[in-house]
Amino acid sequence: MTDFQDLVDRQYTALFRFALSLSRSEAEAADLTQQTFFLWASKGHQLRDTSKAKSWLFTTLYREFLGRRRHEVRFQKIELDDAREEEMSILPNVNALDSAAVLQALREVEGPFRAPLTLFYLEQFSYQEIADVLEVPIGTVMSRLSRGKALLRQRLLSKEEALGNKIVSFQSKKKGESHG
Amino acid sequence: MDNREAKFILSVYRPDGQDASDQRFAEALNQVRRDPMLERWFGASVAFDATIAEKLRVIEAPPDLRENILAGVKVSRPLRWSSPLLRWAVAAAVLMAAIVGSLTLREMTRPRLSGWQTQGLRTITSLVDGQSSFDVHSQSARQLVNWLQTNRAPVASKLPRNLETLNSLGCKTFLWDQELVSVICLTRPDGGLIHLVITKASAASDLARRNEPQLVQHGQWATATWREGEMIYMLALEGSRDQLRTYVL
Repeated sequence: MTDFQDLVDRQYTALFRFALSLSRSEAEAADLTQQTFFLWASKGHQLRDTSKAKSWLFTTLYREFLGRRRHEVRFQKIELDDAREEEMSILPNVNALDSAAVLQALREVEGPFRAPLTLFYLEQFSYQEIADVLEVPIGTVMSRLSRGKALLRQRLLSKEEALGNKIVSFQSKKKGESHG
Repeated sequence: MDNREAKFILSVYRPDGQDASDQRFAEALNQVRRDPMLERWFGASVAFDATIAEKLRVIEAPPDLRENILAGVKVSRPLRWSSPLLRWAVAAAVLMAAIVGSLTLREMTRPRLSGWQTQGLRTITSLVDGQSSFDVHSQSARQLVNWLQTNRAPVASKLPRNLETLNSLGCKTFLWDQELVSVICLTRPDGGLIHLVITKASAASDLARRNEPQLVQHGQWATATWREGEMIYMLALEGSRDQLRTYVL
């Protein structure tokens, strides 16, 4: 039990955060986290390389989440090309927002983009680790992170505008200059 | 490499600099050094990422989550299937069921069962033969019901009255036609086994739409199927309908 307890102590908060970003409520996130550790207790011994326990836990939690969502409404298809280029170049003033608002913005990002964003921001996973956890190619990770960040900026900007805060643009000093 | 491509690659560059020596970023980082505008974008982007990460890192898990995980796993810990007592109990149950089954074989009719019922019986056989394992082992049926509820698997709000006093072995879930099905296995007082299979009523055939239990002999299996609310239940044992009847009436 000690090894298991050590693993829980090391990973449960991180897993909960990941689950919270994916799910609809704190209760569901806690349930997903608990279920993931239960599966580890049942099947974790099958993992030969124990150094991959963290990746196994995140992958399992993500699969559990997808399994529960299988019968629900599919993620809305997002066409980011519709977003204006200048919007994608604007960075919101995140410091003006509290953690709850940032988390809320993250949870508003559509599912396929939210999972890699969460792993990137919360756990500092590398692109390779994200690809392993989500079981997608590296190119897909890059694409989803790139688009996901743009969507997150849009959500944050909306929240910031609601607060009436000032927007800081990359292009504010050299408006119209192309660098992309 | 143009700036758009460089931005695309650098979107996965971690803000704490862990990726600085990763060759996959080398060309994009060189591009950053060559282009002041891109450099400014990159600096702001990394700062933005670092701030987001910092904001999100203060989220704490619920205070009781850790204890719940540890306690939950402890409760659900599998009994050792290899324990001699349990092995003998299962062997005895299988033997008894086989004897009873062979005695009643000639009287059997072979009505058709729904797909989820057939798959339920296959799953039970596989569990009893040791070819698959329970998701959870527990001698307490109540614990199994709680576990199924926690995991949002189909489950009875309460067990049929005559099953409540029986010891359980464990439970398992499986998917049938995209619907989750739960199986709870219990030990009868005579040493045999009895199994409760539960799924949503939407998975039911016409056999299983009635509220009154419909008893059917299918090979060596006796089954009783009924509907209650949004759920449909099948009670099954290897034996006769008379043996089964005592548990449903």
